[in-house]
Amino acid sequence: MSVLETRGCSIRFGGVQAARDVSIQVGEWEIVGIIGPNGAGKTTTFNIITGFYKPNEGTVWFRGVDVTQMAVEDRTALGMGRTFQNVGLVKGSTVRENLKTAQHLRADYATVAGMLGAPRVFRTEREMAERADILLDILELGDLADTRVAGLPYGVLKRVEVATVLATDPDVLLLDEPSSGMGPEEAHRLGDTLLDLRREFGLSIAMIEHHVPLVVRVCDYVYCLNFGELLAEGKPEEVRNHPEVVRAYLGEDPDELGAA
Amino acid sequence: MTVAGPRVDLDQAEAAAEARAAAVEAEVVEKAKAEAYEAPFKPSPIGWFFRVALAAALVALVLVFPLDRPLSDVRLFSQAAIYAIIGLSLNVLLGYTGQISLGHQAFVGIGSFTSAYLVTVQQWPFAAAVAVAMAVGGLQALVLGGVALRIRGLYFALVTLSYGTVASDSLFGITRFTGGGSGQSAPLPSFAATPHRYYYFCLLVLAVVIWVDYRMMQTKGGRALLALRENPRVASTFGIDVKAYTLFAFVVAGVFAGLGGALLAHKNEVVQAQDYNFQLALIFVIMTVVGGLRSRSGVVIGSAFFALLSSGYLIEKAKVETLFRFLADNTFIPFLSKEVAALVLGPLLLLLTLTLYPGGIGQQIRPIQRWLAGHRFNLHDRGDKEVQISDVRA
Repeated sequence: MSVLETRGCSIRFGGVQAARDVSIQVGEWEIVGIIGPNGAGKTTTFNIITGFYKPNEGTVWFRGVDVTQMAVEDRTALGMGRTFQNVGLVKGSTVRENLKTAQHLRADYATVAGMLGAPRVFRTEREMAERADILLDILELGDLADTRVAGLPYGVLKRVEVATVLATDPDVLLLDEPSSGMGPEEAHRLGDTLLDLRREFGLSIAMIEHHVPLVVRVCDYVYCLNFGELLAEGKPEEVRNHPEVVRAYLGEDPDELGAA
Repeated sequence: MTVAGPRVDLDQAEAAAEARAAAVEAEVVEKAKAEAYEAPFKPSPIGWFFRVALAAALVALVLVFPLDRPLSDVRLFSQAAIYAIIGLSLNVLLGYTGQISLGHQAFVGIGSFTSAYLVTVQQWPFAAAVAVAMAVGGLQALVLGGVALRIRGLYFALVTLSYGTVASDSLFGITRFTGGGSGQSAPLPSFAATPHRYYYFCLLVLAVVIWVDYRMMQTKGGRALLALRENPRVASTFGIDVKAYTLFAFVVAGVFAGLGGALLAHKNEVVQAQDYNFQLALIFVIMTVVGGLRSRSGVVIGSAFFALLSSGYLIEKAKVETLFRFLADNTFIPFLSKEVAALVLGPLLLLLTLTLYPGGIGQQIRPIQRWLAGHRFNLHDRGDKEVQISDVRA
């Protein structure tokens, strides 16, 4: 049984059909890549999965539960973790503060008890800080714990974001262009990190990605979207060489391309 | 004639650009690492002596200085402490949550009248009346918070503005509740029956409010507010219920404001509807922003400053009253008097804050604060709670 699944999801914004009949499956421990040109509806699909958009048609299933109408924060509680294209972090806070913010659902005290300073609040807060430091060490970010997010370079922010999502204790990671802003070497290292995380945390991962070597290396299965529709799916190599996919990216006849 | 070839080798240029970016990146990360491993700075005993001395002087200023002041002055000091509570209330909305309230005079006024009415007309004990004033303050803020979930930005600012005006024009005109034009009397509580005692009581309450505000920001409630102010979408993927926490912020602000209002009523010993006008709301907003959004000490100092300024105390003490009178008699600004000083100086200070120091007084005193806490004195310490102009625009 797949961990995460969309069944025939469609969504319209005014006259624009942003997604049409998109069906995607993410199996247990799978790393699934979602590729496609700009404006193909990749992030829209993510927004449907995480609950920012409610699809006009179709359903979203998470571990056998229909979550189509569920609020974003409730899906997080179930185990969906998501990163954003333009870095989803609280920029005014430090790296460690961000990881504590992401552990919101782990804080098992009432908000008002926190304000009045009940004894167990201090214990929980200490545990949350410790857990944050462990996660930062795993992602080799330990030195940056007390640094303010706003001053950090983009490539580092992307890794901080992954640490932050891990802090929400997810079963499925949804990564929106995790390698953007990274050089080839860093992207390679990110690939290592993702494979490690899958092993260590038992995660399933779905990621939107443009960096082809990374997709080919880590993904078990790839979906290609174009104009809001699924164009192709299959093993990375199959999809990469799929004539429709090549056409969508390069806008040319593959035969001509081969001749050139 | 030879055609000049391209001056740029694209591959080389791209590689160079990438290398430059990597170098910058490495520099930032290395700096953070170096800071993380640097042995923490420890002040010498003499350094500690000066720090303790300054802290003691500040405490003495607040605790000892008012002892031999005349009663009328002490009342103003109480007002300063109460304004600090109101400033912290507004800081929860404006600073932490990024919601504006231009109707805060209503938040405060409702607290004032509730407490005065319960003590004078219903003969309730002081503590119970204040508790109800806080509850009512929280409740009316909850209603306004419900509006904030549906309307945003400038339009919501207009809603709060009209809310405040409607409340002060109509709600505070119900004579059974407010005692009509002569106002509702609100005696000092029996355990703090002199202005001096009441002043120390107000300080104590302010200390509690500061503690609660501090604890809130150290725990999940405060973190949730900061996250949803910056980006509600990111906040919700962290598992934060954005709507619930927006309402929570309004309730906290309302409870603080109700508390401040109740204290204000008993400080004056009478509550009159005309005191709760839009000018007051304006001063509340200005004092919070000039004090420095998200800076607890900045807001407290800014609020106290504006309390003393708007009551004419500072103008009197600084001997600039004669100057004011001279200006009023001889220039085109005849309305200038110590009563409107806050409304003249306030916008000027606000302008200064918005253009030069978005962090307000909080930003200014930050080096001193850090020094007091045992760090090296660094005049250019911007701290980790930087305020941007866009915050202030709300």
